[in-house]
Amino acid sequence: MKKGLSVLVCLSLAICLFANGAQEQKATVPAAAGKQKLTLILRGGTYGKVIEKCLPAFEEKNNCEIETLDLSFDDLHSKIALDTVNKEGAYDLCMVDGSWMAEFTENNVLLNLSKAGYSFDDDIIPATLTICKVGDDIYLAPYFGNVTVMLYNKALIKAAGYASKDIKTWADIQKIAQVAKASGKNGYIIRGGSPDNIVSDFLPILLANGGWVVDANNKPTVDTKEFRAALDQYISLYKLGDTMDKDDIVAQIDNGNGALAIGWPGWYVPKANSNGDYVTIPSTLDANGKSVNTSLYGVWCIGVCNNSTHKELSVKLLEYLMDKDVLLGTIPEGGVPCRYSSLKNAEVLKTYPQLETVCSSLEKGVYRPVIAQWNEFTTILGTEMDNIIKGTETMDAGLSNAQKQLVDLMK
Amino acid sequence: MQQRPKTIVNATSKDKTFPRLMILPTIIVLLVMTTYPLIFTVFYSFTDYNYLKGGVFKFIGMQNYDKLLHAKYFQIAVLNTIKFTILAVFFEMVFGILMAIFVKSLNPNFQHVMRVLLLLPYLLPTATVSTAWKMMLSQNYGIVNQLLATFHLPVHNWFMETETAFKMILLIDVWQNIPFVFLLLYACLQTVPNDQYEAALIDGANSLQLFWHITIPNIKEGIALCALLRTIDTFRLFDKVNILTGGGPAGTTSTITQFIYNYGIKSLKFGYGSAGALLMTILVLGLSVVYIKKAIK
Repeated sequence: MKKGLSVLVCLSLAICLFANGAQEQKATVPAAAGKQKLTLILRGGTYGKVIEKCLPAFEEKNNCEIETLDLSFDDLHSKIALDTVNKEGAYDLCMVDGSWMAEFTENNVLLNLSKAGYSFDDDIIPATLTICKVGDDIYLAPYFGNVTVMLYNKALIKAAGYASKDIKTWADIQKIAQVAKASGKNGYIIRGGSPDNIVSDFLPILLANGGWVVDANNKPTVDTKEFRAALDQYISLYKLGDTMDKDDIVAQIDNGNGALAIGWPGWYVPKANSNGDYVTIPSTLDANGKSVNTSLYGVWCIGVCNNSTHKELSVKLLEYLMDKDVLLGTIPEGGVPCRYSSLKNAEVLKTYPQLETVCSSLEKGVYRPVIAQWNEFTTILGTEMDNIIKGTETMDAGLSNAQKQLVDLMK
Repeated sequence: MQQRPKTIVNATSKDKTFPRLMILPTIIVLLVMTTYPLIFTVFYSFTDYNYLKGGVFKFIGMQNYDKLLHAKYFQIAVLNTIKFTILAVFFEMVFGILMAIFVKSLNPNFQHVMRVLLLLPYLLPTATVSTAWKMMLSQNYGIVNQLLATFHLPVHNWFMETETAFKMILLIDVWQNIPFVFLLLYACLQTVPNDQYEAALIDGANSLQLFWHITIPNIKEGIALCALLRTIDTFRLFDKVNILTGGGPAGTTSTITQFIYNYGIKSLKFGYGSAGALLMTILVLGLSVVYIKKAIK
């Protein structure tokens, strides 16, 4: 009896283990009968939240259900990439960072939206469209106008004798930072943490110094006099402040302990009585310097996964989300559309005047290099830069190591 | 006539069937969950397998291992991991033993309460612990810096300074894992015969002598097991580093698993990542070989 009971228990356990392992769980809640179910994989925070607010109207009109996943930057990239090899994808519409474009299009991750009948209109800021196409084929739509801006604390720049419209050059930034540091505050805060954060934070200064990380043939150019000059300037600014992660940077600017930092509009939504605000990043080193584009795009785009099981409905959803009126409605939730009708709307600018800054930055921004190895590129470069900034490696050794590793990577 | 002990080896064919059936589910689970992935990890480590390229990969021999062993940051990660493991295990064992002895010396009712309270850090998920400590050590609103500022002590950017980042990760890991050591050694202490202590006391032994000559010899097997388990676990440290510092600043908190994640997993180069994982396994085995050999004897 005991033996028989033991055999039964063991068999039940084995069946349970296999049954759990065998079933592929695609959705946590099954769709109601007759309704299609879409799964959206989005960037967490304001970027995804803004899309989620628009969904109920679409669900009602199209008799469908939509489930969303909000993820961190790295998790979003991994999950989209890992799902690619499945014949039937777990996701339908995805949010994609422009820097992943080359990697994703090379490996057939995204649906060709042109072939699915989608096209851009004239209202979208043209400069934001470059990353969305391969040749004439559209793969992505620019959804959230993320572009680097200069965050500042109003009181601290005023104490340095500046108004926001007076911040025109990097020499102005240096002066404000020095005055703030002298008063015991963090004059300039650089972003630390992951290598990608370090590189992204540095790129606007590199652009202002006339440098870039690759040349026209995508060959690495990190051991150059422009790069060294930019890094020297970056380190001198770091010595006038500190290095922090995103949440601490925003807190420092808002609570008046930090004067300046490069950031993204999605981090901080200034209001009339906020302690902080943002301006376009200066495009010249000093009053006599040459003006260059220094705003870095981090536009969050939306696309349809190539292995989506609801392609038609997903494209329809994409068109809906990119609609002028729908995008205009996202602004109170923190949305930053890449459309003139939103960013130049007089009523909108009355309440959100900072969007004028964003519009001007979006019109003349610079995309990060569109190379499939960008992820690894930033890991290598960011790690060496971190060592140089923290003083554990000399600039000569660090940049020489970085150049060598990057040349090997890009072979 | 003395009966032979009933073991599978000594049993008749008929008697072997039932025990085999009993261990069959475990063997199936082991084969599926451990052996199969291990074989494929070894296989992929000799290829240039990139997940995004689907099934297209080629055999590249020892190239992944060669690249890894010559990678400066892998060497730094290995040194950091060994340093971290030795320090973490040392502090966890010392504080774990002291806590176990302290709790055992308390009133029995109070022992129950203390056991529960002291176990709490170990029960929390690592992500929760990391996030809570990150908030406490925050540059802006962190309670630690506020307390230090109140007493006019220097404040730090704990996770961004090269001098403090490693020590903070060590502190948090030790804080979370001392309860595990405490619990195991507390259980071992229950088996130490009281009459040994009584005899020693009669002979005039002091506390230190009791501890060194009675307590430690009686629980040394438990200490060895604890040290082995903590060594294996600490070597695989990933979540705290990934959440709190990402391996920085300047690689001071970079561990082997963080390196594999940054250079192998994030870029979907699973061939390279597999080679890193195997090297790490060999290192862990090397650290635990002494204990494993003793256990087999």
